[in-house]
Amino acid sequence: MLKVNDINVYYGNIHALKDISLEVHTDEIVALIGANGAGKSTTLKTISGLMRTKTGSITLMGEDITHTDAHKLVSKGLAHVPEGRRIFLQMTVLENLEMGAYTQPGYVKEGIKDIFERFPRLKHRKNQIAGTLSGGEQQMLAMGRALMSKPKLLMLDEPSMGLAPILVQQIFDIIKELHAAGTTILLVEQNAEMALRIADRAYVLESGRITISGTGKELAQSDSIKKAYLGG
Amino acid sequence: MTLISNLINGISLGSVYAIIALGYTMVYGIAKMLNFAHGDVIMVGAYISYLSTTALNVPPLLSVLIAMVVCTVLGVVIEGLAYRPLRKASSLAVLITAIGVSYFLQNAALLIWGSAPKSFSSIVPFDSISLFGGDLIITSEAIVTVITCIVIMILLNLFTKKGKMGKAMRAVSEDKDAAQLMGINTNFTISMTFAIGSALAAVAGVLLCSAYPTLTPTTGSMPGIKAFTAAVFGGIGSIPGAMLGGILLGVIEIFATSYISSQLSDAILFAILIIVLLVKPTGLLGKAVKEKV
Repeated sequence: MLKVNDINVYYGNIHALKDISLEVHTDEIVALIGANGAGKSTTLKTISGLMRTKTGSITLMGEDITHTDAHKLVSKGLAHVPEGRRIFLQMTVLENLEMGAYTQPGYVKEGIKDIFERFPRLKHRKNQIAGTLSGGEQQMLAMGRALMSKPKLLMLDEPSMGLAPILVQQIFDIIKELHAAGTTILLVEQNAEMALRIADRAYVLESGRITISGTGKELAQSDSIKKAYLGG
Repeated sequence: MTLISNLINGISLGSVYAIIALGYTMVYGIAKMLNFAHGDVIMVGAYISYLSTTALNVPPLLSVLIAMVVCTVLGVVIEGLAYRPLRKASSLAVLITAIGVSYFLQNAALLIWGSAPKSFSSIVPFDSISLFGGDLIITSEAIVTVITCIVIMILLNLFTKKGKMGKAMRAVSEDKDAAQLMGINTNFTISMTFAIGSALAAVAGVLLCSAYPTLTPTTGSMPGIKAFTAAVFGGIGSIPGAMLGGILLGVIEIFATSYISSQLSDAILFAILIIVLLVKPTGLLGKAVKEKV
């Protein structure tokens, strides 16, 4: 589904990603874990076209998208829920969802119905300005908005950030449901324990490099991972 | 009666400022830049309308349409050539470029059309209305200007609230990256904003010169600055704010001119602006955005 091949990304003079290669196969959940500033978000931004790589290539379903504009990737089946949710705070919940279906004008009605079934809390707040939602509701809206583009590959950047444990569990349940419904998922998380539990495979990023990769189970049991990311 | 007459003149002048201010505020809201060349697009619009009626004998209404088309193209070209390459540059660089574009337009107009003032004949075909046995005269230009302004406001409001492109503009104005992730082409959206703003500038130019019929290459510069002031006054980035700011500014200007001093009117105008900004830094209708985390 997605193949990232030896990319090197810079912020000015800072070498943020160093020879990153990773793959996401159809129907997988792949987790990208690592500490703050390791380059997880940068990796997602480069895949979705918000940032550019100096070298290497990125292919989505066999098509080279290394130099494709971000806005053109949405209709190719890529959705990216960015770090910090980035919903449109001054627009209503409904308008946010409509924006999500910008490339799928025929899907607006059906999509909104679907999203409201999946996230009933959003339905009650549909005419509310998104900035007035709670953190958990905003995360649901961000995910719902991304689903409105009918993605084949959904990239989630820290969906659990800033949420109470019970909400984190809910978000992860939703990720599992989406996966069961046929969406391939690339998940960036600091909550390594939760991420490894649902991931088929995972990569560990450390200062811009991938240091370890393996199945979710393998990594969850690896001593070095336990020490560094799982609190013991 | 003079009071009512002054009020009507003020609202009429203010409506022109409001239409110009809309262009400033929309571009600011979406591209986060001050397009100081906007005032000079007004001047180009007025010249195009003037030339099509005098040299080509086009009917007045059609001349407005021609001016709108030319200004739309001009706005999109200015954005594409001068501002788009600076999208990631500092806002200071963009500001200086905008001032440069403004001078370029003024001097190009000077070169093409000369410095001699042209006397613009009103595009409004019917007569002024005389009320109370001639005590109160409402010019036909004032009526047309105010109606045009109201129609533009209603249409723009519908467009940004209900239209797909309008909603996309709001999305881009709030968060460019997130808008791109929705599949919105931000460059195209910004171009469209310049197109709409410039078409409105053409309308404003024609209305302005219909009421104040002297047309020179610097005709647009002072109304441009005042309309920018109006946009800040009302809360920059806010469409209703631009309307309110424009109309208030027009009324204050006319009142200051007739009751205090015509020489001091601009000074009074800007003094009031400074006071408003001291009390409410976001302008009358601007709101500080609070983010809930």
